[in-house]
Amino acid sequence: MVAKFVWSLGFALLVSSCTGKGSGTIELADGTSLKLDRSETLRVNITSEPPTLDWNKATDTTSSHIINNIMEGLVGYDIEDRELRLVPLLATEWVASEKARVWTFKIRPGIKWTDGVEFHAQQVLDSWRRLLAKETASEYAYFLFAIKNARAFNEGKVPWEQVGVSLAQPASGPSEIKVELEKSMGYFPHLLAHASTYPIRLDLIAKYGEKWTEAGNMVGLGPFQLKAWRHDKEVLLERSDAYFGSKPTIRFIHAQMIQEQATALNLFEAGKLDAVDGIPSTELKNAKKKKEFRSIGVLQSYYYGINTTKPPMNSPLVRRAIGQAIDRQKIVQVLAGGQTPMTGWVPSGMFGYSTDVGLEFNVEKAKADLLKAGYSEKKPLPKIEIQFNISEDHQRIAELVQSQLKENLGIIVELKSQEWKTFLSTLKTDPPTLFRFGWLADYPDPDNFMNLMTSYSDNNRTRWSDSRYDKLIEQAATETNLEVRRDLYRKAGKIMLEEAVPVIPLFSSTAHLFVADRVERFPVNALRRFEYKAVSLKN
Amino acid sequence: MRSLSLTFIIRKFVEALVTLFVIATLTFVALRALPGGPFDSEKALPPEIKANIETRYGLNDPMHVQYVRYISGLVRGDWGESYKYVGRSVSDIIAETLPVSMQLGFLSLLMALAVGVPLGVLAASRHNSWVDTTAMLVAISGVALPSFIVGPVLVMIFSFGIPFSFLHGFLPPALWESWEYMILPVVTLGIRPAAILARMTRGAVLEAIRQDYVRTARAKGVAERNVLFSHVLRNSLIPVLTITGPLVAGLLSGSFIIEVIFAVPGIGKHLVASVTNRDYPLVLGLTLLYSAMLVVANLVVDIMYSVVDPRIRVEK
Repeated sequence: MVAKFVWSLGFALLVSSCTGKGSGTIELADGTSLKLDRSETLRVNITSEPPTLDWNKATDTTSSHIINNIMEGLVGYDIEDRELRLVPLLATEWVASEKARVWTFKIRPGIKWTDGVEFHAQQVLDSWRRLLAKETASEYAYFLFAIKNARAFNEGKVPWEQVGVSLAQPASGPSEIKVELEKSMGYFPHLLAHASTYPIRLDLIAKYGEKWTEAGNMVGLGPFQLKAWRHDKEVLLERSDAYFGSKPTIRFIHAQMIQEQATALNLFEAGKLDAVDGIPSTELKNAKKKKEFRSIGVLQSYYYGINTTKPPMNSPLVRRAIGQAIDRQKIVQVLAGGQTPMTGWVPSGMFGYSTDVGLEFNVEKAKADLLKAGYSEKKPLPKIEIQFNISEDHQRIAELVQSQLKENLGIIVELKSQEWKTFLSTLKTDPPTLFRFGWLADYPDPDNFMNLMTSYSDNNRTRWSDSRYDKLIEQAATETNLEVRRDLYRKAGKIMLEEAVPVIPLFSSTAHLFVADRVERFPVNALRRFEYKAVSLKN
Repeated sequence: MRSLSLTFIIRKFVEALVTLFVIATLTFVALRALPGGPFDSEKALPPEIKANIETRYGLNDPMHVQYVRYISGLVRGDWGESYKYVGRSVSDIIAETLPVSMQLGFLSLLMALAVGVPLGVLAASRHNSWVDTTAMLVAISGVALPSFIVGPVLVMIFSFGIPFSFLHGFLPPALWESWEYMILPVVTLGIRPAAILARMTRGAVLEAIRQDYVRTARAKGVAERNVLFSHVLRNSLIPVLTITGPLVAGLLSGSFIIEVIFAVPGIGKHLVASVTNRDYPLVLGLTLLYSAMLVVANLVVDIMYSVVDPRIRVEK
């Protein structure tokens, strides 16, 4: 009898499998299903389940991939422009006053959310208040810490009314948001292109709680709207008729969650995906021969950090020697992923990038510095350690550095890899002598990189500090004259990368993609913003 | 027997509850002992923001307070909210992904039973012949080959027609849509248990086939087919059932590798990712779920023993 039950259950499952919705059909929140027409659907991979579509709380690239298509901020980027120029979106224009300490944004009138409710400037302030509120516990609250008293509000020390934002409704013309900052900041508008600052609908959050981001509940101001979200499987976006800008030509974006790169590539080969972001380094040689191949340098650096308090790395001369004994060009050649070697701290493609900052590969100078530090063949440098999180690429890079340091300076290097969270914990509690790390730009401004190494930055894991550096970075952040600003960053770069050397930049990364022939104007940009409103399909 | 069986089941149930409590406690302690926290990320957070997050999730409470809160939540049926997936409870995640894994697992189990048991019987009935050797070679290969090799090889053959070009596009390489999408993951997942079952069945049948009652049946002129399926097989099922319990629990609770290779939206990938993410509530929920499934599967096997072999009484 039990066997009969088992077989019947199996048969039922088999039947249910055979009568499934079928390829290209997606189940919607209201229980109905929709057959997607390939000719009007862009099919992409978002790799994994978005942790949240609540933009005040999202911190990851998967969530942003969806959010940046269903929502827009006061400003955005022209992602087809190599310079990633800022463009007006929900704000029509913005002006800075008091040396960029006070900013005023004019709000675009006549915009409606996808449910027909009118957009107004208060919803921007609602979002900022929610982002900064202690109880929201948003990881990206610090994005707005530049606003006067915002940090104190986040700590619960002052009421919202004391935060430097206000709304003005002139007798004629559009409403305005006035922002007073703690200090001058020429790049402040960039922060408002980040999803965490997009306007929000408190009425929906009150109504649905955390479930306000589910399909059927969620609304937006972007070119697409959330049509379906089948957790751990797929997301469907549909063109929004309420969008204030030029309407997209594609009707649907079908985003699948395919974790494994090789699987995504198989689906692309089988014609079931229109684009694949991320090609394994082992496949790159063949991939480059295909006409669907695309690549672009991204604003992401790869570097080795140094714990400047641990002997023998507490000596700047030893750090300099190591920095000069690493041949970045060779590393990039071996990796063969199109990376750009870098000695400076600002990645190529970003304002402030400079090729004459940092230590060049020079074995003779490296040997001389090591000698000056008191180390020679008779008194060799003690064994040092390189730590990294487990990954085939990190391992390859560490092995290359290990062999170069052995060959060029006779230094014995031990490699140690750790699971990601364990590695992060090690960096926090006891950073190793040398460790690998990276940084992906939040916004295309050099401050996003240079600020990392200030003495007060939580991301400075090297335990190095220099008040001269801090001062230059603060000065540069408030400087509106671009040439002066560039020079300040150059000076700061020289202090950090040539004198003190708490970090050794290795290269800036390159993204590799496959984009199907039928897709036109697929977004390939240095910020890796996947905004699909300009995409069209040839059929 | 019925009342005694009920006592047995109740006893087993209480044992299961104690086991699950111990597992919940050990997992809770082990997770907290792991280096790295759920909100440690590449971009370090300012201390005040970290404090806000810890307050929000009660992570700054003393450990015993967190433990009592967790256990009392479990008793109330509240498994908590994922730290990684905002607004999604652990129960939501299980409810959304477990059915897919169960579907995949069940179909693989059916395949394993449908292929493994007859293959084992066939091999044993043709003991030491080329049929036996071939069947066992296939079975040993099935056990030895890891699914991360079998899966891509099957994709290569049945989706991309390498080296048999006429098979190009025969089956989709991944995703979980309709029946044709399910074949490759089901076969990949089912091969190993099928091979294990085939070897277990063969061994058990070979042992049973030498028993006196089989000789008697043959002497009485019972057809070989009837001897095999009515007399031998039934008495060979005990070891097969023993292994089927953990197999069922393993198959139904999802397979990380298969789900990743074939982009199956099941629970398997959460088992691994939740640990990597230090998503405490999700790790605890999934560990308990997996343990409960294992306990139940073993209980069912214990009961099945008495159905298959009346000499065994569950109360013993």
